[in-house]
Amino acid sequence: MTVRRALERFAALARRRRLDRELENEILAHLELAERDAMARGLSPEEARRAARLSFGGIEQIKEAHRDRRSFRWIEALLSDLRYGIASMLRTPGFTAVVAGVLALGTGANVAMFSVADAVLLKPIPFERADRIVRVWEAPRPGVENATSTPDFLDWRRLGGTVFDALSAEQPIAAALTGKDGATRLAGKAVTADYFRVFVAKTQLGRTFRPEDDSPGAAPVIVLSHAAWQSEFGGDPSILHRHPILDGVAHEVLGVLAPGAFDRGETKFWKPLVFTPDQQVRDIHWLTVFGRLQGGLSVAQAGERMQAIYDALAETRPADTRNWKIAIVPLARLLVGAGLERSIAVALGAVALVLLIACANTVNLLLAKAASRGRELAVRAALGASRGRLVAQLLTESMVLCLLGGAAGIAVARLLIGAARPMLATSLPFTAEVNLDLRVLSFAGAIALGTALAAGVFPALRASLGDVAGTLNRAGRGLSGAHAGLRRAIVTGEVAVSLVLVCGALLLLRSLLKIEELETGVRVENVMTMSVDLPEGAYPTPERAAIFYDAVARRLSTAPGVSHAGLSTQLPLRWISNGEGILIPGIRQQIMVRFKRVDPGYFGTLGIAVLAGRGITPRDRDGAGRVMVINQALAARLADVGHMKDPLGKVVRVSTPGYREKRVFLPEVEIVGLIRSERVASPGQPEPPVVYVPLAQAPSPELKLLVRTGAGAASVMPAIREAIRDVDPALPLGDVATMEQVRDATLAGSRRPAGLIGAFAGVAVLLAVIGLYGVLSHTVTLERREIGIRMALGARASDVLLSVLRNGLSMVAVGLVPGLAGAFALTRVMKNLLFEVSPLDPSVLAAACASMVVIGLVAGFVPALRAARLDPVETLREEG
Amino acid sequence: MSKQQSEVPYGTLDLLILRVLEAMGPLHGYAVARRIEQVSGDALQLSQGSVHPALIRLEQEGWIRTDWGVSETNRKVKFYSLTKAGKKQLAVEVANWEKATALVARFLEALR
Repeated sequence: MTVRRALERFAALARRRRLDRELENEILAHLELAERDAMARGLSPEEARRAARLSFGGIEQIKEAHRDRRSFRWIEALLSDLRYGIASMLRTPGFTAVVAGVLALGTGANVAMFSVADAVLLKPIPFERADRIVRVWEAPRPGVENATSTPDFLDWRRLGGTVFDALSAEQPIAAALTGKDGATRLAGKAVTADYFRVFVAKTQLGRTFRPEDDSPGAAPVIVLSHAAWQSEFGGDPSILHRHPILDGVAHEVLGVLAPGAFDRGETKFWKPLVFTPDQQVRDIHWLTVFGRLQGGLSVAQAGERMQAIYDALAETRPADTRNWKIAIVPLARLLVGAGLERSIAVALGAVALVLLIACANTVNLLLAKAASRGRELAVRAALGASRGRLVAQLLTESMVLCLLGGAAGIAVARLLIGAARPMLATSLPFTAEVNLDLRVLSFAGAIALGTALAAGVFPALRASLGDVAGTLNRAGRGLSGAHAGLRRAIVTGEVAVSLVLVCGALLLLRSLLKIEELETGVRVENVMTMSVDLPEGAYPTPERAAIFYDAVARRLSTAPGVSHAGLSTQLPLRWISNGEGILIPGIRQQIMVRFKRVDPGYFGTLGIAVLAGRGITPRDRDGAGRVMVINQALAARLADVGHMKDPLGKVVRVSTPGYREKRVFLPEVEIVGLIRSERVASPGQPEPPVVYVPLAQAPSPELKLLVRTGAGAASVMPAIREAIRDVDPALPLGDVATMEQVRDATLAGSRRPAGLIGAFAGVAVLLAVIGLYGVLSHTVTLERREIGIRMALGARASDVLLSVLRNGLSMVAVGLVPGLAGAFALTRVMKNLLFEVSPLDPSVLAAACASMVVIGLVAGFVPALRAARLDPVETLREEG
Repeated sequence: MSKQQSEVPYGTLDLLILRVLEAMGPLHGYAVARRIEQVSGDALQLSQGSVHPALIRLEQEGWIRTDWGVSETNRKVKFYSLTKAGKKQLAVEVANWEKATALVARFLEALR
């Protein structure tokens, strides 16, 4: 076939109606002329007409041949099927809405979940050759990872030329940016100059760091993220010459990064990390080290080579760290931990089950529809439609339905993603960008077509297989009988799959409740939290910082609406990353503790009970005797390791970090109090031993401010800001959050899958109800006659009601068995997501079964009622 | 029927139509069919209707074109005429046909 003809044939598709008319006209003209000629030959008009028809041949065949010739037959058939499908959809809007709705829920949930999985697991990390980026840790014990000391990092950088193309160290910082209306707190990172050779990023303006930028005495410079450039400087194109004031010092902006992954991260600016002499000590581990592996080097090879370098340097390190190991972890693994991966896998599994249920429902509804259309199909078959044509037509119809459902599903997914965006932003790595891109849309298309095939083929084959004569004879009852068993089986399967999902959801819900009940040990209501960072310029010494602590406490005590205020180096309920050690006289083993510095207001603000001795008071200042308060976990450790039954009044040595300089002191400290443990670890982790040291005796420039207020914590923020401004107008507050938010963030990891899978289980249950309802109500419709006869013979309405309900419950009951088996098999994968709940929790299994029974009753009730209200006289007269 | 009728040899209807149109100028479908019957001396068994699908194909190939005209019965009908491409195609088909018949003739001759 020539190209020209192919094009003509496509064009003919569009004008087929006109072409049909023209052909009709041509044939008429042809016959008229033939008749006239025949009459001219002397035939009577009657004979002439017959002769003309005869010599013309079969008119319908010619028309068909004409259509075949002029365009693509199958497309015309498809178009007419589509038209027919759409028309039949419009004829039964209720059915269409239910099927499309069912599919929209199934597809929507899957598309939304896929877009998350795609963003987190499938899409490449948005850095150049991100597979080469690794984090380098020291591992004191397997599974424990430790930060790096400055001299170690410098050694690695010097000797690691055979392993890394670039190696950089970083440390999170925060700075006060002086603006037109007061100061703002910007989160940033201090990084060595090679940082942007590890995380290769394009710049929009200027450049990133050069090697000389982190040498001592270099001029103060920063690189801005695109987001910060937009939000803090309004995208000022002359930013490179603007020299913004950070912590009171003018900084030159070397460059602005191009928009990208960094804009979703917390870091707003980068500043060269210049090592001071006091940081050059081997026993302070404080740096996070990232490297870019040399091309072709595997992570394992890199690990071996680094281990060799590390072992060769063992002599330079303190004795207790000489047998440590090196751990190299790819960036992808850091960003997406095993927990997140598992959550996503479980959620994907859950949505796949939802889709399965949606498919089963669709099959069921299509079967029901095909059953009631048995006669129509039989008539068409009798008129000569081939089986292939009937299957094609039914498939086209289900395709139309599924595409409609798929389109609605994309809308559902959009809504879901939109609603979940705030949650996603906090629970996914910053490199993940969740959106409905082409990949996700093609996935949606594949799902829609897949469901159309899966859900459409079977009913289509079943319907077209019907025995024509039998169907026509059986009058209105159609093919129903043949389908009943199959449809029951499908509903039973749906019940089973729903039960698995409901079990999963209830397990997570129970785990969630356990977490909610969890004693956090702190008062959460009406407490505001915020970050304050004292810049080095204005607060060079610990004494200056101590004055600030006092001033803030005094000023806040008179602020309106404020009832308590406290300062600490860490937020409550948050993991304390820095570990220190306690030395007990006469005992060799050091007790590792978490180290928290708090002011006298801290315990009161959070309502932390002092169980023995005293808390921290304003008298515990520099120069007074050093004191500390311990938590219950530490008391237990002291009793265990230090044989200290009553630790109060005992004196131990505590390694104490310096104010700004990287130095550790080992002063003698008296234990003066015992508090009830506040939660530091996330749920499921054991509480670590914690020491609380007065801020005034061990000052820190990095602070968290906690303010307890009367009702409406957030409304007191202006007063709090004003109070801080009174103390130091250049000091910005950052990370303002309520204590509820802080708690939620700590518990979030365990909470989120619960919400997600709970939502999916809800959808699954809804679909199961629809499925059951559909089957039962269809059965009632089909058995009208039988019910009528029974009622005519004296069955009471309540008997009919019960029999329909029994029918529904029997399907549920049969479904429970495979469902429980599935739950036994599948909930095990959730083990790590559950907190203090066994995957086989009997109360959960029982509740899930009970809820399925309730579903059976609910779904059966309306059809049962309808059956009970049938008028026997009318149904029997109907004689369908 | 005493006369031996044969069906139109496969693939030659196009050739016949093109040839008729070349010889007679613009014709409508009936006239084309009629003319083929006449020339063949009614030896061909042709459903007159089958010229219509053939005509649409030839038109789509661009070998003939249609103009609207009025039939003897006063009905608006399509008149088909040969295009330049159609003339070329006719020459090709005639040549092919002659080659084929010559080949078959030689074959029959040689094996007699």
